[in-house]
Amino acid sequence: MFRLRLAPLRAAVVLAVSFVLLRVVYRVVFGGAGAGLGPVLLDLPKLRLDGPFSHITLLGPVTLAGLGNAAQSALPVAAVIVFFGLLNAVINVQALFARGAGRGPLRAISRSLVIAWATFPALLESVRRVRVARSLRGERSIASLLVPIFEQTIERALALAASMETRGFAATRVVTGVCEAPVVLRNAGLKFGAAPDKTGWHLDGLNVTLKPATLTVIVGATGSGKTSLLHSMSGLFQHFYDGTQQGHIDVAGADRACTPPRDTAGFVGLVAQNVRLGFAAETVHDEIGFALAVRNVAAPIVHARVLEVAARLKIEHLVDRPIEQLSAGEASLVAIAAALVNHPILLLVDEPLADLDTAARDRVCTVLGQLAHEAGVCVVIAEHNTREFATIADAWLQIRGSRLHQFSAEFSTTMTPGSDADSWGTTLPSSGSGPGIAAAAQGATRDIGAVPAVALASIRRLSVRHKTNLVVNDVSFEVQAGELVALRGSNGAGKSSLLRAIALPTAADTVIVGGHDARSLKRRTRRHAVALVPENFDDLLFAITVAEECRRADRTLREPNFRHASPAATDTDTERNTAALFAHLLGFNAPADAARLLQRHPRDLSAGERLCLVMAIQLAARPALLLVDEPTRGLDQVARALVSAALLTAAGAASAVIFATHDDDFAQDLATRTLRMQAGRLAAPIEVRS
Amino acid sequence: MTDESTTARENATAAGDVDVDVDVAVAVVFGTFADEAPGAQSTPDAVFTLSDRPRDRADQARPRRSIRWTEWILGAGSLLAVAAFAWPFFVGAVPADAQVAVPIVAFALIPALIVALALILDREMYTAKTVALLGVLSAVGAAVRIAGAGAGGVEAVFVLLILAGRVYGARFGFLLGLLTISVSSMLWGGFGPWTPFQMFACGWVGAGAGLLPRWQNAAQRNSSGQRLRANLEIALLAAYGVVASYLFGLIMNLWFWPFAVGSGTGISYEATADPGTNLASFALYSLFTSTLTWDTVRAITTVVGIVLVGPAVLAALRRTKISPRS
Repeated sequence: MFRLRLAPLRAAVVLAVSFVLLRVVYRVVFGGAGAGLGPVLLDLPKLRLDGPFSHITLLGPVTLAGLGNAAQSALPVAAVIVFFGLLNAVINVQALFARGAGRGPLRAISRSLVIAWATFPALLESVRRVRVARSLRGERSIASLLVPIFEQTIERALALAASMETRGFAATRVVTGVCEAPVVLRNAGLKFGAAPDKTGWHLDGLNVTLKPATLTVIVGATGSGKTSLLHSMSGLFQHFYDGTQQGHIDVAGADRACTPPRDTAGFVGLVAQNVRLGFAAETVHDEIGFALAVRNVAAPIVHARVLEVAARLKIEHLVDRPIEQLSAGEASLVAIAAALVNHPILLLVDEPLADLDTAARDRVCTVLGQLAHEAGVCVVIAEHNTREFATIADAWLQIRGSRLHQFSAEFSTTMTPGSDADSWGTTLPSSGSGPGIAAAAQGATRDIGAVPAVALASIRRLSVRHKTNLVVNDVSFEVQAGELVALRGSNGAGKSSLLRAIALPTAADTVIVGGHDARSLKRRTRRHAVALVPENFDDLLFAITVAEECRRADRTLREPNFRHASPAATDTDTERNTAALFAHLLGFNAPADAARLLQRHPRDLSAGERLCLVMAIQLAARPALLLVDEPTRGLDQVARALVSAALLTAAGAASAVIFATHDDDFAQDLATRTLRMQAGRLAAPIEVRS
Repeated sequence: MTDESTTARENATAAGDVDVDVDVAVAVVFGTFADEAPGAQSTPDAVFTLSDRPRDRADQARPRRSIRWTEWILGAGSLLAVAAFAWPFFVGAVPADAQVAVPIVAFALIPALIVALALILDREMYTAKTVALLGVLSAVGAAVRIAGAGAGGVEAVFVLLILAGRVYGARFGFLLGLLTISVSSMLWGGFGPWTPFQMFACGWVGAGAGLLPRWQNAAQRNSSGQRLRANLEIALLAAYGVVASYLFGLIMNLWFWPFAVGSGTGISYEATADPGTNLASFALYSLFTSTLTWDTVRAITTVVGIVLVGPAVLAALRRTKISPRS
């Protein structure tokens, strides 16, 4: 509650001094500084005003005593200002509000304030990220800075709200769960809105019964509705995302159609897709105990339960850590712990493996398997990395079209990994016959010997330092035209830092592309040499429609001395430049086929489509070297095929692609060469794909 | 919640047929949910703006009554607050020996009103989505405010207040204004007697944006009609931004005027002088203090901000729907 911070006091003193000075100025200007008998310092002419202002006289003589009087008369108010500065310096108002959060008559407003407070680090991080994205896109407008930051903020608000809702925030009644039947779906159907919406997505004829102590994995393509199905059990689909439910969905005995998530927080746990966005507290301890704290459970009991859950997941050492200092794997475990604190009957987990490296994946899978088979929880996971769960899953739910197919564990161990590998081969040609796929076929048979020996780009002794850490340590390599280089390595090996340093070099002579030092190029011309599609590719989008986004990208390219000589040709040609490329990357034959997508909001596109849009924007500059960070994160097989075809298109002719990935299959399938990174260094020797 | 809504219903039924006229008046003054909900049904275009209240529409009868009751309290509270802001003009009407007490009453009234209105709004805002949105948006607002203060007093916070108030309605806008001031005051340690006044003034800016008229012509479904309408909306918000900037400056000058100038100058506040003289003095003081400088800068910033980021921010906010507590 009390602490000493000098900044408020300093600010108050400055304010008080300027208040006194202002008072003196008022007196001088409005003829009040002439009192007293002292010598006249300045004999200014008196100006009498007319009309309604006739009682006012401006200026007039200024005496030393008059000035002194003015300053003296201001002292009481100045003293009040300083006094409040002193109060602000010693009283921690934020702590006062934090106490009110969760209880009392101002709990909503206090909780908002706590969230606001916790948002600041994220906001600063987001400003930093978007500034990088903006320079990657060669943009300078204020909208390109503010809109992505704003979108991220809204996204954070929604994730946070969903996580608070499922953990019982603002719950009004207590519903008790029945352990015997964690999930029962009878003739259930899910859709958005009353009329069929633009995408026409719906699920019908859902008949599923899940038992305690089982682990079920929901699989299906991106956009098939894995998350929606999961949230039809958590209740967020019906009560938060405005979805419509038909038929019956019972969760531990509660009718989901009329029971909002907040009322079932006592027995349904949810681990959201991007766990970091859903953190509502400032320390790991408070985060794990959040679901108890909002129910007004006494602090000692909360503490005991937090330690108990942490011990169960073996993360006791994290309990006192600030929430923003967790690694991706640790954050996942903390989110699971936070969902477990109420001892749920049903635990729902949405894409737990997307961000994790192999070691962290194993850890999370083991924990989830133990929860199901040792603690008796009914665990439901939506995930498309199916291989990791092959040994621990008891049942699989596959979404195909608008139907759900259920497989037993025995069936799945023979079928799912097989079909996984199979679909990689079969969906690629069958998913479309656009030019992108044709390019993929060409690329697959391309001979490495045909690549010219002249280096397209060379990276020379590149190092990146974050504060005191050397995250990229003296990396040198060369890239030939037409190459597709996979950059591999575990979380934190420095892959993203390396790619960013190549795209936005800070030191001279470290990145040479096509004979030019990338550092010496201007922001916009540098994009013709090297362009990066960052991991958070949404940061590059800021328009309201895809079409406008494409026009914007064309406009940044239309600068003096660039490619097109005659203005008439410029208009017709670049008008559809990016849009045509976007359609091409998506496998459409003609840009007109993508017209439906062009009218949409960029953020309403699917993840794969959005990635293609950002790649189109970056490729429209015809960069010699295209860098892509984690292109397959969160994508299913079809979308991955789309992206791999797009990468092959990009690597055609005189350009090359470097992509960082965790995805073994994807890298093996596509890369002509693999670079491995470990602790900021390139692991020698460079292996060449046979 | 339940006991409040029953008393509200009793009051509403007790008011009887007067209720009808009054409802219209309140709807005009304070943009009610009830006023918005039929709009959502009649305009297909308004699906994204107004259908954020599915549960409200489902059982309109009950929440309508209780919400109208709070409209009254909010309206009355705001009027009382305006009176407290304008205390210098009320001193003359008070008996001479009570005149000293007037500023003290005004200074006590404003924080009390803030707490009272916050208590009322708190019940309605108690849903996870609203709380989370209020939290992050007030963080953005505070960051914008502090960044603006660093950049030579360029206040861009009105852009956010106006856009959010427009999309999420008057109460949300009011609370956002209130919270933005609290968060930024917390951040740089600027709490003082002036904070409640700033809270009210910023709250009104957000609430006012929520009360601006919405046009409901469903006929124009083609894209050019939509674009025209979107441009009109931006123009309306920008115009409101100019008005709000100057009014904000005026009302913030009003309560502080006697303290800022002190006595003994031509524009000093005279408790005994006639209101016309005081008004003229105040006008000159305000013109000299902020209208020509800060307020103009603020108005320009707001207009530029709304025109530049308005369409995208409105789209981002509208893709997120909030529903009132039911």
